[in-house]
Amino acid sequence: MNSRYLFGEAWAIAKSSPRHTAIAVALIALAFYVPGLFALISRNLGRLAGSVREPAAAILTLDPAADARSIAARVAGDPRVAKATIVGSAAALERFRRAYPDLGSAIADLDEAPFPPTIEVSLKPSAPPRAAREVASAARSWPGVDAAESEEEFAEKFRDGVRLLRGAGLFLGGLLTVAAILSVASAVRLAMDLHRDEIGIMRRMGATETAIRAPFWLHAFFEGLAGGALSLALLYATYRAAAWALARDPHPVLSLFWVGFLDLPTAVALPAVGAAAGFMGSLLSLSKTPKS
Amino acid sequence: MTPEEPTAGGAPMIQLFRVCKDFGPFRHALSEVSFTVERGEFVFLTGPSGAGKSTLLKLLFREELPTSGQIVVNGRNIGVLPDGQVPYFRRTLGVVFQDFKLIARKTVFENLAFVQSVLGLSRSEQKRRAYQALKRVGLHHRMNSLPSELSGGEQQRTAIALAIVNEPVLLLADEPTGNLDPVLSEEIMKLFSEINIRGTTVFVATHDVDLIRRMGKRVVTIEKGKLRERDVAREALAREAPFLPG
Repeated sequence: MNSRYLFGEAWAIAKSSPRHTAIAVALIALAFYVPGLFALISRNLGRLAGSVREPAAAILTLDPAADARSIAARVAGDPRVAKATIVGSAAALERFRRAYPDLGSAIADLDEAPFPPTIEVSLKPSAPPRAAREVASAARSWPGVDAAESEEEFAEKFRDGVRLLRGAGLFLGGLLTVAAILSVASAVRLAMDLHRDEIGIMRRMGATETAIRAPFWLHAFFEGLAGGALSLALLYATYRAAAWALARDPHPVLSLFWVGFLDLPTAVALPAVGAAAGFMGSLLSLSKTPKS
Repeated sequence: MTPEEPTAGGAPMIQLFRVCKDFGPFRHALSEVSFTVERGEFVFLTGPSGAGKSTLLKLLFREELPTSGQIVVNGRNIGVLPDGQVPYFRRTLGVVFQDFKLIARKTVFENLAFVQSVLGLSRSEQKRRAYQALKRVGLHHRMNSLPSELSGGEQQRTAIALAIVNEPVLLLADEPTGNLDPVLSEEIMKLFSEINIRGTTVFVATHDVDLIRRMGKRVVTIEKGKLRERDVAREALAREAPFLPG
């Protein structure tokens, strides 16, 4: 079996049923686009979480006119509190620019500081589990405090949200991958049916089953590879389009979630897993083909 | 012995020993069939439709396995041939069917080159063998035509070229003239005779009694799955053999 035969026949198979080939590629692309999108969002969420070096237990958001020092001193007076750090509007902006250099230009032209001053409260290691929630709850009634959130609560919700997002992505991705594998299997079966005369001739002439099936394996492999690559291209197009839209019209929340594309291993994994899915589809299909 | 090289020597090309083939408990396609075809022989297998001719050819080609009995082809007991060895066994045979079985989207030449590329032959060897086979069947001038552009006789000659391109030791044909008129049928039989003269054993299943009579070759007859052998060669030669070579 030579490569000319192998690649020539794989191409002939693709050409013989272009509609089914296109459907299989599109389904694989969709199957990997959906979890890819979830991966993109969760990666950016992870980046958001990772940008804070020492996570605070509670955040007090202040009125712009409030006396930050006296509020900080008041909260630091709580025996469970280890440290109360004032983060001014300018410092918050600088921190944001460091974390999200891609979005720096989007907020450069704003007349007002986009971030209000805050106080980040850190607790002593000996503080009881509900201390952050209690400190935040007490601070809400203080003058000059606009809002007070326990980060424990937020962090928990955030982690749950990311977990849910990843789970949903994996579930949908798994479901769509199974659909894509079945679609490839069906496309391969159809292609085998269209080529049954050739297969009959090959068997008669003494071709081994491997030689007969190899072009179908290769065809499905490339079908999956193309589907995975297409999903990657679509994801990148989505990312660029969203980044462009957010740069034109920054959104306070979405802008934080949309600052970087997939890392290289994940990006490479999409076409690789696509190719594997295609190959699995062909194996599934050809395993049911009777030998004669 | 490598898979491509069958055992040769002076042993018969085909030996059947009490071969039975059943399709289910009530359909007995062949019963206790025994006969021998020597190397270099040209033998007709005949009998009415449904007698078991095609089943017998399928057994010889190892497309089916016998229910009982033994089949030895080219020195190999094909009933016990492992599945993995079947393709290599088939490379020593050529098969021609009534319905030509050519790849419609490929030219005559590509049809022949294709099957050789599957077998891993080099491009130059593919070309050489394909051209030689087409020349032997007189179709080298139509090598770039598609099967749909050929007449029925030309399509059957292409199928024969396909069958002999691997230089088989045994050529099996199942009703090769079934779709052809008498003149073309005689042409095809003449071609089989020429292939036979070059040393290939030829085993042809047909129900065309007139054709068999004119060819004057040995005849194996099957009726209702049972063998009735008779030699009509002398009788036919005594009348006429218009296209017998030599």
